[in-house]
Amino acid sequence: MDADLVAALARLAGLQRALADFPDDVAAAAAQALGHRDEMQAPEDPAAEPWPPMRAGRRCGPDRACD
Amino acid sequence: MTDRAQKAPHWLGASAAARAFAARTLSPVELVSALLARAAAVDPGINVYIRLDAEAALEAARVAEAEIMAGRVRGPLHGVPVGIKDIIDVAGLPTTCHSRLLLNNVAAADAAVVARLRQAGAIVMGKLATHEFAIGGPSFDLPFPPARNPWNPAHHPGGSSSGAAAGLAAGLFPLALGSDTGGSIRHPASACGIVGLKPTYGLVSRRGVFPLSFTCDHVGPMARTVADTALLLDAIAGHDPQDPGSAATPRTHYAALLERGVRGLRIGTVRRFHERDMPADPEVAAALDLVARTLAAEGAELRDVRLPPLADFAAVNRVILSSEAWAVHAPWLRRRPGEYGRLARRRLMAGAFYQAGDYVAAQRRRLQMITQVEAALREADVLLCASSMEPACRIDDAEAVARSYPRQARAPFNVTGHPALAMMAGLSAGGLPLSVQFAGRYFDEATVLRVARAWERVAGTDTCHPALG
Repeated sequence: MDADLVAALARLAGLQRALADFPDDVAAAAAQALGHRDEMQAPEDPAAEPWPPMRAGRRCGPDRACD
Repeated sequence: MTDRAQKAPHWLGASAAARAFAARTLSPVELVSALLARAAAVDPGINVYIRLDAEAALEAARVAEAEIMAGRVRGPLHGVPVGIKDIIDVAGLPTTCHSRLLLNNVAAADAAVVARLRQAGAIVMGKLATHEFAIGGPSFDLPFPPARNPWNPAHHPGGSSSGAAAGLAAGLFPLALGSDTGGSIRHPASACGIVGLKPTYGLVSRRGVFPLSFTCDHVGPMARTVADTALLLDAIAGHDPQDPGSAATPRTHYAALLERGVRGLRIGTVRRFHERDMPADPEVAAALDLVARTLAAEGAELRDVRLPPLADFAAVNRVILSSEAWAVHAPWLRRRPGEYGRLARRRLMAGAFYQAGDYVAAQRRRLQMITQVEAALREADVLLCASSMEPACRIDDAEAVARSYPRQARAPFNVTGHPALAMMAGLSAGGLPLSVQFAGRYFDEATVLRVARAWERVAGTDTCHPALG
């Protein structure tokens, strides 16, 4: 990934301090993300749903037991 | 004391310790004292403990001893010591996550799993080394040294539940709790030759455990034997209404189902992982063949099954894990990046470079992968595949660590949430553990453990210990 683009994305993410103090780590993190994104086989079926599916209501949580 | 309890109490498993307590040949105080002496002798070379809570452990042992002597036995873990990975809260002790950022993070309450263990009468020995925030390691730039492999302390013990596996292999405790987001229970179990089980997503509560990735995190049991792994799972499994991911499932007595053998079971071998996707070290491949042939000889039916490529699973795991971890760590990475070790900083910042669409695409691919693994598990009762593609390399060889850590087949089951167990499959010519992995249907840990026990019974992996100390 282009170094200027990495720097712009890092600033957008609020990583100015890391960019100043650890520029190699920021570059390595960006390369890592790009690599995994390129390796991922995104579904071609437009109707492919994500996991977990949306479920209406709150089945359980900190103040409510599961149904 | 019995001969073994007298000569080497540190190798006693939970089941054997419970029998010794019942027979009055060993007491919880004697066992904890022996383990503390063992830790004093060997831990300086392997760095298992971040914090050994000796006084509290001895006091808990005295209480357990009095209760057992009075006939008030709480169950099979009463008086049995357990180590806790230091991302899991123990009331009154710091949960440091092996990080400078949380050195003074004293837990106000026990994690749900620790509370369950205390209720069962288990004795908390202390907090165990991990990779920083369960992702950055092995590292030498953290406030505590990395754990080392008891089979050869020049080698890494796997991670991130590194102290748990190293401590079990070294005889510092018979049981431990770990966590697994991309293989962090099964990797150290493989490297150290012990048993590690990542349960089905939702079977064991994550409440009170520092999160890495909400939809990939699992808490699970680690032990030297399959029977002890089952006993620990018996104690920690169960619904927790305060964990939003917790599942309400019928109670199963895992330890009671172990000895049924494998006759009639269909074992699906996933050859592509170690033959095509990531060709394994020949010793690992030979060990996997031996496990398969052994199970067939015990009466199982072997069949090949097909799953998507490992690289596909790994990419989905990393996109989801990094995106969710970024949500957890972004505030600290923005304000205090210098307080992370280098490896954790690099791995956690990766999440800043994904877009929302990447995360959703990964979750959509995830559902397709779940469907594919479910299809394989209709053809087979349990899957057999590689865990690590090679034995553990030297811990001080950063290049070898970076090359070999991703050479694994554990991430598929973090993506899908199926239960998966890693254990010893033999020893390499260099004297380091080789490993095998078994995966099963959702909430069917009982069958996974049954297959693992069948292999252990024939191979004798439960009596194979390093010559340390």
